[in-house]
Amino acid sequence: MTGTAARNATTESVAAICDRVRDAAARRLQLRVVGSGTWLDAGRPAVQAESISTRDTSGILSYVPGDLTMTAGAGTTLAEVRDATAEHGQWLALDPYGSDDGTLGATLATASCGPLATAFGTPRDLALGFEFVTGKGVIARGGGRVVKNVAGFDLTRLFIGSWGTLGVITEVTLRLHAKPPCDETFAIALHDKADVARAREVLRAAPFIPYACEIVNGPLARQLVGRDELTALFRLGGNDESLLAQRSTLATLGDVSAADSSIWTKLRQCEPAGALVFRLSNLPSEVGRTWNEANAIADSCTGTLIHCAPSRGVVRCIVPATDTNVAWLNRAFRSPMVSTRIGERLPPELWPAISPPPTADALSAGIKRTFDPQRILNVGIRGESA
Amino acid sequence: MTTATTGNTLPNTADSRIDQALANRLAAIVGEKRVLYRPSELLTYTSDGLPSYFKQPGIAVFPGTRDEVIAVVRELAPREIPFVARGAGTGLSGGALADGVVLIGLNRLNHILSVDPDNGTAVVEPGVVNARLSRAVAHHGLYYAPDPSSQTACTIGGNVAENAGGPHCLKYGVTTNHILALTVLLASGEVVKLGNAVGERDGYDLVGAFVGSEGCFGIALDVTVRLSRNPEAVRTVLADFMSMDSAARAVSAIVATGIVPAALEMIDQPTIRAVESSIYAAGYPTDAAAALLIELDGAAAGLERDVSTVEKLCADNGARTVRIARDDVERARLWQGRKKAFGAMGRISSHLVIQDAVVPRTRLPEVLAQIHEIGERNRVQICNVFHAGDGNLHPNIPYDASDADESARVHAAMREIMSACVDAGGTITGEHGVGLDKLPYMEKIFSNDSLATMCALREVFDPHHRSNPGKVVPVHSCREWHGAPNARGTLA
Repeated sequence: MTGTAARNATTESVAAICDRVRDAAARRLQLRVVGSGTWLDAGRPAVQAESISTRDTSGILSYVPGDLTMTAGAGTTLAEVRDATAEHGQWLALDPYGSDDGTLGATLATASCGPLATAFGTPRDLALGFEFVTGKGVIARGGGRVVKNVAGFDLTRLFIGSWGTLGVITEVTLRLHAKPPCDETFAIALHDKADVARAREVLRAAPFIPYACEIVNGPLARQLVGRDELTALFRLGGNDESLLAQRSTLATLGDVSAADSSIWTKLRQCEPAGALVFRLSNLPSEVGRTWNEANAIADSCTGTLIHCAPSRGVVRCIVPATDTNVAWLNRAFRSPMVSTRIGERLPPELWPAISPPPTADALSAGIKRTFDPQRILNVGIRGESA
Repeated sequence: MTTATTGNTLPNTADSRIDQALANRLAAIVGEKRVLYRPSELLTYTSDGLPSYFKQPGIAVFPGTRDEVIAVVRELAPREIPFVARGAGTGLSGGALADGVVLIGLNRLNHILSVDPDNGTAVVEPGVVNARLSRAVAHHGLYYAPDPSSQTACTIGGNVAENAGGPHCLKYGVTTNHILALTVLLASGEVVKLGNAVGERDGYDLVGAFVGSEGCFGIALDVTVRLSRNPEAVRTVLADFMSMDSAARAVSAIVATGIVPAALEMIDQPTIRAVESSIYAAGYPTDAAAALLIELDGAAAGLERDVSTVEKLCADNGARTVRIARDDVERARLWQGRKKAFGAMGRISSHLVIQDAVVPRTRLPEVLAQIHEIGERNRVQICNVFHAGDGNLHPNIPYDASDADESARVHAAMREIMSACVDAGGTITGEHGVGLDKLPYMEKIFSNDSLATMCALREVFDPHHRSNPGKVVPVHSCREWHGAPNARGTLA
């Protein structure tokens, strides 16, 4: 469903969400905001609550390819956006971990991104505006539908990454990109862990930014490219002359071998069910050290998959969910680490260990009180007490 | 400042809290020479880069250190005295002005505190001038990307407050895309750290909320910015057209290719003529209806291919000539004409109104035609010089403010232009901010509920609206937050 039909249906759905939130606020009934329901085990443990779904707000409401923007209901899936934009040689350059069955609302609410963040940034760089229903049941908007806009306070950035604790996102406007003439993926086998820092140095000195660069550890490389060794995966975009030069620069890291573009989908979906997932981050110049911190954990947790975006300084760890691994991580997280630690999917007992609640400061608490005064939306998911 | 009797009211305000005793206490913090209150001393601080707004501060105070700024704000807090922070005063929205406030000038906080060339970041005080930061890091092969036209004078603190843009924001993003962390002084006098300069941000994006808050959320004491690497190669193209429409169509064609120019600017004939008759003459053809200034940058390999594509698209859409700057001197000259265009308009008339609306890029040809028609009908001269690549229009009207009839026609034309842009699906400001100038238009694009929500956010940072009072959200909208929500309307 697109255009006017989608808009009419979405309007009704938003009104229903609004009524539901007002009713819940009046009765102080807690709600759990749900998109496709693919990520319900992510984030800190939310209190048991009735679900409020955004799926009925799905559909592309406005898409003028020449504007390189799209407005869609929050329940629209990434797959729907991918298919609609591909017809016009465009894309939403956002590839969060998980599948394209995830919704725009959930992706933005959790500020989720993937390998393409190296070149295109995070959802905060791609969202232009949106509509939401606050915890008071008020329908409001931030931002707009054009690519440049400073009218009003930036509610868009505030809501992205708020994990549904400030309001239910019902509609989003996104910046799109035209697909490049050439889009190429290849792999380079690295020699040892020192090459992680070296890769970052090569990228820093290069006159271009690859669309994506992810360094993957041996177990993950085995799944993606069929060999158990530290490997750098690159995705480059541009004209053919530009790609030739980019490839030649990156070849200083090691032997280039062709790789299928499907490895990016495999990387996004490599998490086994119930895996323990978290990220470590620090300055890009410290990426070698951050990688080592991640590997120190992996050494004691068999089968850990690790990958990192060297120019972003972010290392992501996917640890098999065994009792032994949970116990080990509980100890590891309680010992000093240089990196900033951010949990994605962890059992309840690991959240207090990995990092303090990120919204415990007075300003964040004040913002929560303002947007959700009855404390009914996604309570607990940011670590605030129920 | 000369010491006077405690309790005396100052000449510029009826607010009994802003008196000689306060001036004395502020002088004790920053030194007597750094406190101004006589009307003649304050004249500079009654307006900003837009000459059409005048507001009279009660006192202007110029702290020289971060501790002095904190002490000044803590002096004001117990008495709930409103204040306005100000950088270079180059803003174009009437943003750093208010009647009867204490104006806190931050230009003396102009130190670059640290530079991390390896990670491409710097920590700066709010009074650091935008272009000076780029000069200071140039030897590392780095620069600060957001480049408002006033960059040789405007400050990073002001840029943060307004979420400033500039021609090169088409490719590199606006200020908010380049700010990693902030230390902020709230109106209460409390100092808070926002963001994470050394890793990912978790939690609410308080940095994102603060950038562009137009001084209403507090004062940035230091700013951690992201620096960009100088491009390996740059090509600057000037294409001239015999109609605005064909130039606008060339813009659409370029944007659709997927090539993202570093900048894609349009300059119309009245602007070209103003520039060419000024000291900023850039060699633009004065008989052209419009010119496009297009810059492509990045890796040298493959760049010429993109330049050729752009040249061809310009030609296909009716460009009369397409010229590529031969060297840095010619490139700088072409850019000087563009960046000093507002100044050149001073040759036409004593006053100038400047708009900053944004429209969807496919609507540019139609909206430009509407703007032309509005100008003709209201008998005003509109000079268009703007960021065509992202649809950010700057229709400017030079006029004589002492001519009441002309002033009325100018303001009527401005209102009509704003309506045309909003009706086309656009917004009222792309980079200059709301300030006082766009305040009446906020209700055209946001519902009362949206405005009340914004106001409620402001109150988390500044519950009593003391930090730059009366900006961004119309005052009456703020009264509605605690009331019952409105039904869903047609407005945003």
